[in-house]
Amino acid sequence: MSQPILIVKDLVAEVDGKTILNGISLEVKPGEVHAIMGPNGSGKSTLANVLSGRDGYTVKSGEVSFKGQNLLDLDPEVRAREGVFLAFQYPVEIPGVSNMQFLKASVDAVRQHRGQEELDAPGFMKLAREKCKSLNLKPEFLKRGVNEGFSGGEKKRNEILQMALLEPSLALLDETDSGLDIDALQVAAEGVNALRDHERSFILVTHYQRLLNYIVPDYVHVLAGGKIVKSGGRELALELEDKGYSWIQ
Amino acid sequence: MISVEELKQQLESTLNQETLAWLNVSDDARALFQKGSLPTRKTEQWKYSPLTPLLKQSYFETQELGSPGDANGLSTSADAIQNTQRLVFVDGQFNRELSDYKGLEQQGLVSLFSECNEQQQQLVKQHLGRVCPLDQHIFASANYAALNEGVLIHVPANQVVETPICLVYLTTPSETPRHHNTRILVVAETSSQLSLIEQYSSSGQQAHHFHNHLCEVVLSANAKLLHLRAQVEDEQICLVNGLHVEQAQDSHYEQHAIAFGSQLKRNDVIVTFKGNNAYSKLNGVFLTKHQQHLDNHLVLEHAAPHCNSDTTYKGFITDKSKAVFDGRIHIHPHAQKTEAHLNNKNLLLSNQAELNTKPELEIYADDVKCSHGASIGQLDANSLFYFQSRGIDKASAEAMLCLGFVNEMVELFPNPAMRSFITENLGRFFNDVDKLKSLWSLES
Repeated sequence: MSQPILIVKDLVAEVDGKTILNGISLEVKPGEVHAIMGPNGSGKSTLANVLSGRDGYTVKSGEVSFKGQNLLDLDPEVRAREGVFLAFQYPVEIPGVSNMQFLKASVDAVRQHRGQEELDAPGFMKLAREKCKSLNLKPEFLKRGVNEGFSGGEKKRNEILQMALLEPSLALLDETDSGLDIDALQVAAEGVNALRDHERSFILVTHYQRLLNYIVPDYVHVLAGGKIVKSGGRELALELEDKGYSWIQ
Repeated sequence: MISVEELKQQLESTLNQETLAWLNVSDDARALFQKGSLPTRKTEQWKYSPLTPLLKQSYFETQELGSPGDANGLSTSADAIQNTQRLVFVDGQFNRELSDYKGLEQQGLVSLFSECNEQQQQLVKQHLGRVCPLDQHIFASANYAALNEGVLIHVPANQVVETPICLVYLTTPSETPRHHNTRILVVAETSSQLSLIEQYSSSGQQAHHFHNHLCEVVLSANAKLLHLRAQVEDEQICLVNGLHVEQAQDSHYEQHAIAFGSQLKRNDVIVTFKGNNAYSKLNGVFLTKHQQHLDNHLVLEHAAPHCNSDTTYKGFITDKSKAVFDGRIHIHPHAQKTEAHLNNKNLLLSNQAELNTKPELEIYADDVKCSHGASIGQLDANSLFYFQSRGIDKASAEAMLCLGFVNEMVELFPNPAMRSFITENLGRFFNDVDKLKSLWSLES
C-alpha cells in the first residue's frame, strides 16, 4: 500500500471567530478521487480554502500533512509549487494581465521550484495552445485578460487549463460544476479525467451528484456541521441524490 | 527659493526674444501675461499643485542649449513605426538632423512657423491663440508671448493622412536648469483625417528643464484626429502642458495618454464642442512614485447639442508622491441631448501617497445623460490570492497586478509600436520588475 499524500487530522478552523470546520479527518492516497458533498454552509469550500492557504481562515487545532510536511506552515505560493492546486469556485477577473502572461508566470514559478527547466516563450506557447485545444478553447483565449469577460464555462475551463499546465499532485476542485450547463460540464470533466493517473489525487467539492456521473470518485464523504458525518463509495452519492441531505443529518 | 512674483519677473524677461515678424503677436500676448498672475495655493485650479519646484532653482539664467549629440541613440517610438515621419525637438529647439518629414513638408501638411508660406501664415494667424483662452491660462500666454517657432499641421479637406505624424520632444542632461517652450497648431479641415503622436522623452537622468508646451487643435466638420501622447521623460523635469481642442459638428477626437510623474507636471486638456454631433474620447493613465507630483486638469465644454464625450483616467500613485485629477463636464444651456461620462479610478499603494480627485458635473440643460465618478483603492486581496495559489510569490503578484492596472489603459492605444514603446518605459518605471518584462513580450 502506498502512503497517503494528504493526511488531515482533527482539523478545526474558524472564520471571523466562527467555527466552520469542527474536527475533520481525511486521508487521500496517490491516484484517489475523493468527493466531498454536503448542504450549503457545511464547510466544503472552507476545507478547500484552508488547504490552499487563503487568508482569513484560522486553524485552531488539528494537523495537515502533505507529502510528509506540515502543509499549514507553508505560504500559499509554496503549497502551489509543492503540488497543491485549487480550482476556484469563482475565478478572479484580472483585466490588463493576459491569460498567457499569467500562465507563464505561474508555470515558471512552479517549474523553477520543482527543479525543472524553464520553458522558453515559443515552447510555452506551443504547450499552452495544445492544452487549449484539448479543452476546446480557442487560441485567442490566451490573449484575453485573465478571466476578463469569460463566460461561466470558460472560467471553469480556464481553471482546468491551469491545472493541466501546473501538473499538481493534489487538485482541489471547488464547486467546479456549479453554474455549468451539461455541455460545459462534460468538457470540464473530460479535462479532469484526462489528468487522472496513479499518482495524481483529487478532492472534488460539490453540492450536486451530477458531477460524479462524469468524474467517478473512489470515495464520497458527506460534510455537515463542519464534520464528516458519513463516508462511503460511489453509491453513497446516488443515495444522497435520492434521499437528500436531511437523511444524513 | 524665490517668490512667485520673482518667478513671474524671470518668465517675463524671457519674453523679449525676437518673435516672428509676420505673426506680430508679442505685444498683445505680453500685455496679457503681465496682467495675469501666476497661480498660488489660493488659485482654485492649482490648489493642490504649488509651483515650489519652479521656485527652488532658476530656470531662466542660462540660454545654453543641449547638443544634438546628446540625443543620439535615444530610442523613440518613431523608430519602431515604419514610414512614420517625425519632427524632433531637442531641448525645445527644432532639430533637423534627427527629424524626417520631407514627404509631409512637400505635401504642405507640415511646416515650421518660420518656414510657412503665405497661405500657411494666414492659417496660423487665423487660429493661433484662438482655441486656448489665453487670459485663463497664464503659462499659455507666456508660451505665446515668447513664441519664435512652432509647428503647423494642416490637413486639407477630405484628405486622409495614413501614417501617423510624430512629434518628439527630447530633453538632454544639464548641469544648470533650463527653460524652453514648444508650440503646435493642428488644423484639420472638413472630413480630413490624421493621427498624431506626441512623445516626451529624455536622454538619461538629471535633465533639469522647465518645459512649457502648448498645443491647439482645430477640428472642422467631420474631421477625425487620433492623438497619442506619451510623457515618459525624466523625473527632474517640470512640465506645464496645455492641450486645447475645438470641435466642429460631426468631428471626432480620440486621445490616449500616458504620463509619468516628475517634479511638477501639469496637464491641461480642454475640449470645446462648438458644433452638433461631435464626439470626444479621452483615455489617460498617470503614474507617480518617489516624491513626484502630477496634476491632471480636464474640461469638457459641451457648448453644442447632441455631442458625446467619454473620459476614463486611471492613476497609479505610490511612495510619497502626489497626484491630482480634476475633471469637469460643463453642459451649456442649449447643449441638449448631450451624453457625457467621466470616470477616474486610482490605485493608491502607499500610506504616504496622496491623491486629490474631483470629478465635476455642471449642467445647465435639462435633457442630457451624464455620469461622473471616482474611486481610490488598493490591491484586491482576492486577486493576490489567485496569483499565489498558482505559485506566484506575493511581490511578483503585486507587481503584475499593478502593471495590469496600468496596462488596461495601455492596451487601448491603437498603435502596436506605441504600445511596445510604452511597455519598455513602464519596465523602467517599475524597475524592480525586470522579470515581468519578459512576460509582456508574449503579447505578439
